[in-house]
Amino acid sequence: MEELRELAKKLLQEKQVNAVVGYECDRRGVRPAFVDDPAGCDRLVFDHRCVQNLPAYLSPRRTNVAGLGRLAVVVKQCDARAVAGLIRESQLKRENLVLIGVRCGGVAANPNESRELGAETLALRCYGCSGTETAMADYVVGEPKTVPAAGGDRDARLAEIEKMSPEERLALWKEWLSRCTRCHACRQVCPMCFCERCVAEKTQPNWIESSPHIQGNFSWNVTRALHLAGRCVDCGECERACPAQIPLGLLNRKLAKIMSARYGFAVTDDPSTPAPIGSYRLDDGQEFIL
Amino acid sequence: MMRRMLSRTDLDALVRDLLGAGTRVIAPVRRKVQGREFVEYAPVQNPEEIALDGSQPVRPLKQVVFPPTETLFNYKQDKGLVQIQEAPTTFSDTLVIGARPCDAAALEIVDRVMDWDYHDEFWFGHRQATTVVAVACTDSDESCFCTAVGLSPESTRGADWLLIPAGSSFEVRVVTPKGEALLESNKSRCPESDVPEAGKASSAVEEKVRANLAMNPAKLQEWLGAHFEHPLWQKIALRCHGCGACAFVCPTCHCFDIVDELEGVGRGARRRNWDACQPALFTLHGSGHNPRKDQSARFRQRVMHKFSIYPSRFGEILCTGCGRCIRVCAAGMDLIAILAEIGQNAEEAGSTL
Repeated sequence: MEELRELAKKLLQEKQVNAVVGYECDRRGVRPAFVDDPAGCDRLVFDHRCVQNLPAYLSPRRTNVAGLGRLAVVVKQCDARAVAGLIRESQLKRENLVLIGVRCGGVAANPNESRELGAETLALRCYGCSGTETAMADYVVGEPKTVPAAGGDRDARLAEIEKMSPEERLALWKEWLSRCTRCHACRQVCPMCFCERCVAEKTQPNWIESSPHIQGNFSWNVTRALHLAGRCVDCGECERACPAQIPLGLLNRKLAKIMSARYGFAVTDDPSTPAPIGSYRLDDGQEFIL
Repeated sequence: MMRRMLSRTDLDALVRDLLGAGTRVIAPVRRKVQGREFVEYAPVQNPEEIALDGSQPVRPLKQVVFPPTETLFNYKQDKGLVQIQEAPTTFSDTLVIGARPCDAAALEIVDRVMDWDYHDEFWFGHRQATTVVAVACTDSDESCFCTAVGLSPESTRGADWLLIPAGSSFEVRVVTPKGEALLESNKSRCPESDVPEAGKASSAVEEKVRANLAMNPAKLQEWLGAHFEHPLWQKIALRCHGCGACAFVCPTCHCFDIVDELEGVGRGARRRNWDACQPALFTLHGSGHNPRKDQSARFRQRVMHKFSIYPSRFGEILCTGCGRCIRVCAAGMDLIAILAEIGQNAEEAGSTL
């Protein structure tokens, strides 16, 4: 922790950056912190409650964050995948950003988790993670840590749904999606949902009905999932943010598996790896084209 | 003093009677989705589904009188001829059992704006059809702050009955004429008894809630009125993602959007849907200009509306301290901490205002 605070202080004092985006403790757990004063760096923390994917704040649409100036951002290896995604999609220039890579021993599913990190509390995305820092980091802080063993098969819940008949699956998703009220928390916390004007907001024509009836809710949630195929960085923030308790991660996970099987693509923190949607290969499957 | 008591068995019988008579009964129900356990207000078919243990439903009760989407009318268009079929504004009888006092109070607070510059027939149609039986809280968490906004874990506001848990029974407090009518048809189930006053449990809860936040609403309102521009807004709003989660789980947020949706050729419906002031789209003009230029202006609006604008117009704080906005926020926006900070500013500014 001292190492992180000292580094942040140095970056601010030397005016290498105008603000550091990291984590701080709050009344209930841990939340994102924006520190623009060297004296404030002692607020910074990093532990297993640092769940949030901070690169979500790097979208140029966040004019108030952009207004802070040049930023240093604390990133776990998984968060760096979002930075890589934003660079890959021309939303961000690597040289405009300082990345503080943290060695992470895995995070809990919830930033207010009061229990120790273990099989029961470990976030799904940490299953099988090495916990090493990202190769993108300008600075690396923390001692090497070991991620606790997973509490089971990460894809058990997906496998269960894949076994169902289409009718059963439809009934299940109908029940879940009927709770969606279109607050768009899933979109707003997503580092890859950076569109200037989301398709859900377009009214001429109205591609996606904004009413939270079942038709509108299917339209919205399925469109969002498809827009993230091969782009989702698997941070799980959409599911964590959903106040309607919809297991949105299942949709993204399923699409990630399809992208892997069909295009050999796995989400990575290497920005030079082309995304399937932005590249063309002669051996791409095309049997669906008549 | 004699008190009317109702056992859980008799409460279940009451529910069964009403269900048999065709009344819609809505109550907190336990759910489990992919390992996540939660409670939500939902129609019940059987009284055994009702969970009265005090867990707060994830969504507020407002959805019963103000559905997330509601059709105002249907239309048919044939060249120049437009036919309108208005949606009914009377609704079937509904009984809510197990409303949280913070949810019940919100109904009465929002009544004010729904009967202000126009009379909202849909809101009041639902209100009229709905009888609310609240249950005093037997637990609270670190996000509860009803006591700071003038309510309490056993507030009767907005409720027709308040049930106060006492062992395996409830003390029945009848609050309104609607509540009297409910008692009238269930008198034999609610015998008078001289059991000592229930309320020890709830005073402990109240103390716990009080420890979360102390607030001086008048001072707060005064400070807000004088500090539309203040560096605080910029600082607080940096972490806000600008989604509508806080507003959609808020029992008092009542903004809506009105849309026309086609349903095939020449047919469609006009609907009103929940809307929220935190997304940028809320105030985006057709020209592309947005008078609320960034998240700081949008978050300021949320605080101002609840603690300054609504109180100055209606004499009511537009918040019941339910704490849901704190619990759901993915960014850790914490209204208790924010109100405490504003309150501190107000204290310090006290002499100069």
